[in-house]
Amino acid sequence: MTNRTPASRRHLLIRPLAVALTLLLALAPAFAQESQPLDQLYGAEPEGAQQGGEVVVGIVYEPPALDPVHQQADATTAITVLMYQGLAYTDWDGTIRPMLATSWSASEDGLTWTFDLREGVTFHNGDELTAADVKYSYDYIRSEDCGCAGSVYLNAVESIEVIDDFTVAFHLASRNSAILAGVADKLTAVFPEGYFDNEGAQARLNQTSVGTGPFMLDEFRPNQSIRLVRNPNYWQPGAPYLDAITFVSVPDGNSLLNGLRTGQIDLAQLARPQDVAQLEGVNGVSYQEQTSWVQKSLDLQAGGGATEDLAVRQAISLAVDKQEILQAAVQGYGQVIGLIPAGMQERWGAPLDELPMQGPNPERARQILTDAGYPDGVEVQITTIIGFDWMTPAAETLVSQLAEAGIRATIRRQDLGVWIDNWGARSFVDVTLNDWGTVPDPSLLLDAHFQMEPVGNDFRNWNNEEATELLAQAKQATDYDERYALYVEVQKMMAEDAITIPLFSSSIIAVERDRVNNYVQHPSGWYHGLIRTWVE
Amino acid sequence: MTTFLAQRFLSMLLTALIVSVLVVLLVHTVPGNIVQQMLGQLGASSTEARATLEAYFGLDRPIHVQYLDWLGDLLRGSLGESWNQGTPVLELVLRAFWVSAELAVLSLLFALVVGCVFGIVAAILRDTVADLAIQTFNVLGLSLPAFWVGAMMLVVASNVFSWGPPFRYVGPLDNPGLNAQIMFLPMLALGLFNAAAISQFVRDLILGTVRRDFVRTATAKGLSRSVVYAKHVFRNILVPLTSFSGVIFIGILGGVVAIEAVFNLPGIGRLLLWALQTRDYPVVQGGIFLMAIVTLLVNLVVDILYAVFDPRITYA
Repeated sequence: MTNRTPASRRHLLIRPLAVALTLLLALAPAFAQESQPLDQLYGAEPEGAQQGGEVVVGIVYEPPALDPVHQQADATTAITVLMYQGLAYTDWDGTIRPMLATSWSASEDGLTWTFDLREGVTFHNGDELTAADVKYSYDYIRSEDCGCAGSVYLNAVESIEVIDDFTVAFHLASRNSAILAGVADKLTAVFPEGYFDNEGAQARLNQTSVGTGPFMLDEFRPNQSIRLVRNPNYWQPGAPYLDAITFVSVPDGNSLLNGLRTGQIDLAQLARPQDVAQLEGVNGVSYQEQTSWVQKSLDLQAGGGATEDLAVRQAISLAVDKQEILQAAVQGYGQVIGLIPAGMQERWGAPLDELPMQGPNPERARQILTDAGYPDGVEVQITTIIGFDWMTPAAETLVSQLAEAGIRATIRRQDLGVWIDNWGARSFVDVTLNDWGTVPDPSLLLDAHFQMEPVGNDFRNWNNEEATELLAQAKQATDYDERYALYVEVQKMMAEDAITIPLFSSSIIAVERDRVNNYVQHPSGWYHGLIRTWVE
Repeated sequence: MTTFLAQRFLSMLLTALIVSVLVVLLVHTVPGNIVQQMLGQLGASSTEARATLEAYFGLDRPIHVQYLDWLGDLLRGSLGESWNQGTPVLELVLRAFWVSAELAVLSLLFALVVGCVFGIVAAILRDTVADLAIQTFNVLGLSLPAFWVGAMMLVVASNVFSWGPPFRYVGPLDNPGLNAQIMFLPMLALGLFNAAAISQFVRDLILGTVRRDFVRTATAKGLSRSVVYAKHVFRNILVPLTSFSGVIFIGILGGVVAIEAVFNLPGIGRLLLWALQTRDYPVVQGGIFLMAIVTLLVNLVVDILYAVFDPRITYA
């Protein structure tokens, strides 16, 4: 019943997973979703694609384990999407489309979702996919035995029923269109029935994969490389084209660039988008800039400290010059945003000129502070996380912007593990920089963060009953205009209270050598694109 | 000698165990554990998931119980399994250790050869241009951090020669040619820094030794200069040089994280850092325990070499 914001990547903070299934659903009164033709799944078939060949991909963040359901880190999902599939997947434009399901429909009351399954799908171990596997997998994910973050997505599910070998029904305790988030790419996958019943099954995932995806795990060497090989029995005709993909762990951004220059690395997402300038004039490489669904933001503590006072938060919001921070942090490779990631602005974003408390307006900030009884300004602490490159220049720029409003800020750097600890305990101090990964569903983006306990997590201690109620209504509403109006209202409230100040959505820069063809970077940062990539 | 060795092994084990206790305490005081990392934001909301995982890893037990469990495994010859991946810790740690050890050995050998030659030349040709040149090299070598030198080498290699070392590590036994290409630049980067240190050290040692009485006596006896140096001076610098080399070796092993990151080597430094960041306690504990044993072993080898080089030293 309650919608939780999806888990975070290990190094990024929030990641609502499901794409706006609701987008499509709101438009189709029958709640049905037709599948794409097989040659359109994961993108259109490219012209002239050749079979065979291998690709070396450099990755900066290594997955701790290749387990799609027990590990929520984005670094993990980026790679496991090539081996494991769910009932649905997130398309490049943000729509949720059927994958292992061919279609789905909801009952009139919205409490029963029926999925028709694809026939002729086999797991890497040879077993054939049936409804029993689907029931087992999603029952396992939402069970206590799993200890899985994805269980929260399936909170609304009361039971899962096998109707026949290729039909399965999810019975919900309350209406929840975001249920499809729980069955798409992240934190979810369909396993063979009973897979996790054996001891050591989880650990074995790091040696042998048991998904339905186009690639299988060949070898995982920690701190070195991950090698995937083509699944010879993959159910989608034609795909994939590559024989093998090797992900090499390259933690140093400069080494990554060197590898691209010398051709030892064929493809990489740059650690910092602005590094692309260093590849100018290098032969044999090209790059694509993709606006990601990531948002970089400031989050403010409303439960204590200097920012407990609304006036202080509003002053901070007015003092911020987002364009300047975008320039300082990633040299402009991205887009300034309102309250919603750039990729969602058109569909769900409140018009930027309608949002209150937007800067830069240091004079008004000073006025608000003075009126509130801070004639001499106020002191706040800003926290950045070690390992997030963009945060340092952003924080330093922020300090000088705040100073103009009479706010004296100091910067403190924190280890990620400590930060997560504080965040989970809702006890972070004053202002923290944050890095959200997301997929374009407003419910998954906002609910867990901004609804009060026990419905949501309310990490910032906003304690806003009205917002909680509005978000609940929006989650259950089926008419797009109604949902849009509700989300706009909530965004205005968030802006007025300055509970969070999203700054910008950064671009993903994917660099490739010329021999790599048809790699289209997915806005999530995951490697879906490799399924339709071919090499000469 | 056997009593000496027996006593040393016992005290080594004791020291390593004390280190392991300290590590357990330290690692558990750092906020955040693996469960939070695995669950991320959602973990904060799902108390059942968190409880399941904490029970699975034994994190719900008091620290001393967890430690005793680890100790029990140790007595059975196991360092447990990695919480991230389930692989046996011993396997993970040893594999990483050999990579760092190879780098440390190669760098030390390079540093010793270059450093001794430079140091001896500088001492014998004291106050000449050669001496000056070598001392300049020493200062430069000592002031430039090894990882920076390494990074610069990579940039130059890729920009000027369009070459870079292979990204995937292979061991010296699997493919010596490829392994040599992989190890060449990091060995150079670390080696140059340590060569500078050894060169300066050897120069000072020799200059100190030649002033000693026994050298004057040997020269007065009529021995040629080369014999005096070979038989008397060099043999007397062996003991302090061995000690210094031991320190350098341990230093390389312990401080090699930055080099490993720059050159993509899957060594012990990277493994430990990664394990700490992901709060994979068994790997952290197992890894540091192993490093403690290695350090103590190196010290033991150095002590034994003393006895070899200096007949006046015996361990009865």
